[in-house]
Amino acid sequence: MNLVERYIAAVQRELPEAKREEIGRELNANIMDQLDALTEQQGELDDARIVAVLKKMGHPRTVAQQFVPPQPLISLGYMSLYKHTLFMVFGILFLLQVAGTTVEWLSSSQMGLFLYLKGLASGFLEDAMFAFSAITLGFWFMSSQQPKQQDGCEQQWQPEQLPDAGPGWQHISLQDVFTELATYLFLLVIIWYPLWLSPEQLASSRLVFNDSFYEFLRWASPLAVFGIVFSLLQLRHRFWNRTMLGANIALNSLFVMVIFMLAANGPYLQENIEQWRGVFQPGQLERSVLITLVIIAMFPLWEVGRDIIRLGKLRK
Amino acid sequence: MTTAQLDKMRLELRRGVLVLAALASLKQPHYGYSLRKQLQDGGIDIDEGTLYPLIRRLAEQGLLDSEWQQGEGRERRYYQISELGTELLSQLSDEWQQLNGALSKLLGTNTKETK
Repeated sequence: MNLVERYIAAVQRELPEAKREEIGRELNANIMDQLDALTEQQGELDDARIVAVLKKMGHPRTVAQQFVPPQPLISLGYMSLYKHTLFMVFGILFLLQVAGTTVEWLSSSQMGLFLYLKGLASGFLEDAMFAFSAITLGFWFMSSQQPKQQDGCEQQWQPEQLPDAGPGWQHISLQDVFTELATYLFLLVIIWYPLWLSPEQLASSRLVFNDSFYEFLRWASPLAVFGIVFSLLQLRHRFWNRTMLGANIALNSLFVMVIFMLAANGPYLQENIEQWRGVFQPGQLERSVLITLVIIAMFPLWEVGRDIIRLGKLRK
Repeated sequence: MTTAQLDKMRLELRRGVLVLAALASLKQPHYGYSLRKQLQDGGIDIDEGTLYPLIRRLAEQGLLDSEWQQGEGRERRYYQISELGTELLSQLSDEWQQLNGALSKLLGTNTKETK
């Protein structure tokens, strides 16, 4: 009988404290009834037969889980909201990190591209881990209190309000929206860098644009602001329709125009850049900026082409 | 179809029916082992790991009444269907009859079609 006691104790260890005694007591009664029935059929039982009965009952952990099934940390009713919240918070943290690290990068003469990317990644990971823990704990608490009730949105939905079925590309993913937002935010931080830096930081700043080039760049900032507003709108209506595609084509076309106009209006950099003297010739630097601008223009240009094709498909 | 797939589907098919079988059997009081024996004798073989937690859950939902009693030198927990359980059993039985009738027709039709 020692084996049965050990088996029941092992099952009890896997159970919540409040249910241990009662389930153990009931399990013991059931096993003893089973052993009694076997004794009636086969005579006195040896340990090997008791072992066979216990093996048939199953591993103590499995038996305990059958009595008290394990509960998921976050209930299924909350899962979709949990994932959505995580994604939105991660997106916002990424935007804040882009803004913060870019300002730091601009104000430091020691920080190269590698350190910038490292700072961006490590800062984001640190914030994201904290946010993940906090959100998970919050949803765990909500799940442990009560199962999710259907909210107003789920009760009052109308099939007529659902967007058109359309092809897969018409659905705008959160990842795309936050990537666009990060790009526009990065652009604004770069364009308006004197606003974020102290005079000392400005003096050691790495940005060495020519005054006329910089003046032209500032005129382009409403485009970045419009891009942010447009991306926020996409967060609300995550579906490409003709109007949205038209607006995106217009926005990206303007960006292409501005970038090509910037490229056509050199020189781009200040003369006598101390830190690069002896490393690069001024002509080499100007050419590099020109090539970089042309490469940057390819991205919105590609989006213009892609969206014109999509618009054509929607018109059909 | 593999044996594992068949076992899984068989388990899913039986899961709901077992509640009905347990409630119907517990019109008379039973303890765990005697209930299992009765079901087995009636042609429903159900392992201990499924039956004992199932009757506990039904009792927790108020569908069964339970009481510890001393018998044959040992204490046992006896279960019997409650008032709420009886109401539910009646509704589930009607549902089962309808389903069974509909399924019998479907299975009969399919047999003719495959011939």
